[in-house]
Amino acid sequence: MKALTANRLSDGEVVFWKDGRWIERFADAQLWAGDDPAAIEAEGEGKAQPLVVVDAYLIDLVEAEGFWAPVSYRERIRALGPTNHLHHGKQAEGGAAIEALQHASGAARSTGRVNLIKRK
Amino acid sequence: MYQYDTLDKEMLADRSAEFRGQVARRLSGELTEDQFKPLRLMNGLYLQLHAYMLRVAIPYGSLNPAQLRKLAWIGRTYDKGYGHFTTRTNLQFHWIKLADTPDILDHLASVDMHAIQTSGNCIRNTTTDPYAGATAEEVDDPRVWAEAIRQWSTFHPEFSFLPRKFKIAITAAPKDRTAARVHDIGLVLKRARDGALGFEVIVGGGMGRTPYVGPTIKEFLPVNRLLSYLEAILRVYNRHGRRDNIYKARIKILVAALGKDEFAKQVEAEWAKIDRDAGEGGADLPDTELARIRGAFATATFETLPAVSEAFETAKASTPAFARFVRNNVKPHKKPGYGIVEISLKGIGDTPGDATSEQMETVADLAERYGQNDIRVTHEQNLVLPHVRLDDIPSVWAGLAEAGIATANINLVSDIIACPGLDYCALANARAIPIAQHIAEKFRDPDRAEKVGELKIKISGCINACGHHHVGHIGILGVDKKGEEFYQLTLGGSGAEDASLGSILGPALPYDRVAGAVDTLVDVYLREREDGERFLDTFRRTGVAPFKEAVYADAH
Amino acid sequence: MPTLIELKDGVCRPAEDPFTHVADDEDLPPGDVIVSLTRFQQEGDRLLSEGRRVGVRLKSDEEVEALAYDLPRLAVVAFDFPKYRDGRSYTNARLVRERYGFKAEVRAVGDVLREQAGFMARVGFDAFEPADDASANEWQAAIRRYRHVYQRAADGRAPAFVEREA
Repeated sequence: MKALTANRLSDGEVVFWKDGRWIERFADAQLWAGDDPAAIEAEGEGKAQPLVVVDAYLIDLVEAEGFWAPVSYRERIRALGPTNHLHHGKQAEGGAAIEALQHASGAARSTGRVNLIKRK
Repeated sequence: MYQYDTLDKEMLADRSAEFRGQVARRLSGELTEDQFKPLRLMNGLYLQLHAYMLRVAIPYGSLNPAQLRKLAWIGRTYDKGYGHFTTRTNLQFHWIKLADTPDILDHLASVDMHAIQTSGNCIRNTTTDPYAGATAEEVDDPRVWAEAIRQWSTFHPEFSFLPRKFKIAITAAPKDRTAARVHDIGLVLKRARDGALGFEVIVGGGMGRTPYVGPTIKEFLPVNRLLSYLEAILRVYNRHGRRDNIYKARIKILVAALGKDEFAKQVEAEWAKIDRDAGEGGADLPDTELARIRGAFATATFETLPAVSEAFETAKASTPAFARFVRNNVKPHKKPGYGIVEISLKGIGDTPGDATSEQMETVADLAERYGQNDIRVTHEQNLVLPHVRLDDIPSVWAGLAEAGIATANINLVSDIIACPGLDYCALANARAIPIAQHIAEKFRDPDRAEKVGELKIKISGCINACGHHHVGHIGILGVDKKGEEFYQLTLGGSGAEDASLGSILGPALPYDRVAGAVDTLVDVYLREREDGERFLDTFRRTGVAPFKEAVYADAH
Repeated sequence: MPTLIELKDGVCRPAEDPFTHVADDEDLPPGDVIVSLTRFQQEGDRLLSEGRRVGVRLKSDEEVEALAYDLPRLAVVAFDFPKYRDGRSYTNARLVRERYGFKAEVRAVGDVLREQAGFMARVGFDAFEPADDASANEWQAAIRRYRHVYQRAADGRAPAFVEREA
């Protein structure tokens, strides 16, 4: 599965794509099957919003405790917050989806940024 | 301390107004992200993992209480109530909103602070000895030259688009607390037999992907010729430094490629021409300006005190925790009856270099009350009150203890340098902070930590080496192995006057084995050490073999 | 015709550009031309003998020393910024003014952006071909952004240490 993420221009907040808009919680993000062309389409739409976000890109997901979690550790930290301040960032609100992210493991690629090489 | 005059203040006001306009143009769409990014970087504003990060310059690591209070206030108002002191002696806020930054820059300017040249391929903040003006070891006050360089390098029209970033360190004491030999330029202030002051000029040290201990290219540069000589070095670098490969663009690569003698020859030739170009006015600062700057640093006033303070001795005898603090955190001052107090930002389990707004305010209060309004930041991410009467140190210690920053571990195993790493940084491959926390936990027992003695652990979350891992007695580098955090250990590095680069211990270790491995390394040292040896000395004598064997024993 | 901004006596004005940039493989048009160093070395004498004004455009990896003996014959020296981040042309410009005393036009071409206008003016540029469509007024504002400067450069502005003595 894949999700689309970016940082919001005005404050840098990590955001995820859902049905044409950007939302803050990973748990609410829109997910696509790995081969769904709609993901690429959404990425194009996201990139076309340079006054809303910076640097939109797709990330790969794995299953963790019945939830989907980003494959890469970096993306899990983005979706949660820093591990040295557990009350900072998105993780502060807690709940099952956050805990599943915190327990997720099994990274398969360094960044989880799809098409990283092509993008740059 | 140097006080900004109208000119310095107007420079900051103009800068702040310029950036306000640039942010407005970005938010309105007039500037694209590609156009805006270099502009925000020149103002220290990065986009990190969770938010924008603003890196505030603390020129040569020197702060007054009003400035530190303002940083505390900004942390509370615009961030999450804290700030992070860096190895460049700057302060980073990690949770900043783009739209707030013009206001933040205005607030900084109100106390003569800014974020100028804290990023970008320009001359960055010059660092110096945090004990400057307080230690008897120094031949003269290095801050005078650091301030001269601050002004010369600020908005330098020729050197704002160098091949890569450029960092200068100045030390004036034989004991180097600035890591001068691993800087683009390291300046060591010396006094000749005839009393004249001059710099030993070291060029082309550095860390990152290709670390070097820099060679000396000039043994004795008369101090008043400093700026023209720097101009010559920078000009040779600007013209000939590589621009085709970001990893080969630092000056160390140019110096290594040319060889130090050829590089020095080119600098000397350019320097001679600069003199001719300048003609009568000269290419250096006039003596009047040097005298003005020097005067600004000669303001500390010292009472005539007995060398021994009864209050200090009594407190040491009656309070073991205070005695421990004195053993580790109080250093000798040039004046009898005074001490230099180091404030550790490395509490066990804390984030190295972080200070809460309340802690910053406590330090500001103590500096005002007991420390001649003078606060320093060290490149090891601690703070210093350079001028405290021994009589007052018990009160300072009590104040620090109340704020949770009286940890008595300066230069000990838990006084760890760590970059923000993957918890914050967009460049990182692995986390650095939790590794530091786990190691510190292993040495929570202060008796054991003191028994181990001086041991400098330095952790970087990527090869850029912001955590100075190459020059750690134990260096730890985070690497990414197929999406998992791994850590490569190096031993035997030093950033001090005996500078050396660490050698790799063996294969990288997974996240949860690093703290245990450090524990093992320390055990080997305690077993092998001879009288008076630091960890570094033992390692240099025995070599890597016993350490390697112990850490990888269970892999056999 | 690309916009040209001229800086004279501290004032920026839009200007008609009498010069034509001529690439190495292009035929020479009549009138004033700016050519590459290579072409100037091959054809410079002839071009000058035709009575036209000639300028030379140096790439950022070419050094102004190569022009040392020809400078008195040139009407323009243009320094290229292939990317605004390539800072070598700042050194070239400063040297052509301070070391070689060149008094005619020093022009910035390539990725020339108003954010760098202040630096360019300080090292001695007095003509600009902006790549960002900036107006002369915007260029002027950028150059006047800072009331003070800290170091001597090629523009003759009094640095802070001189202002302080006044």
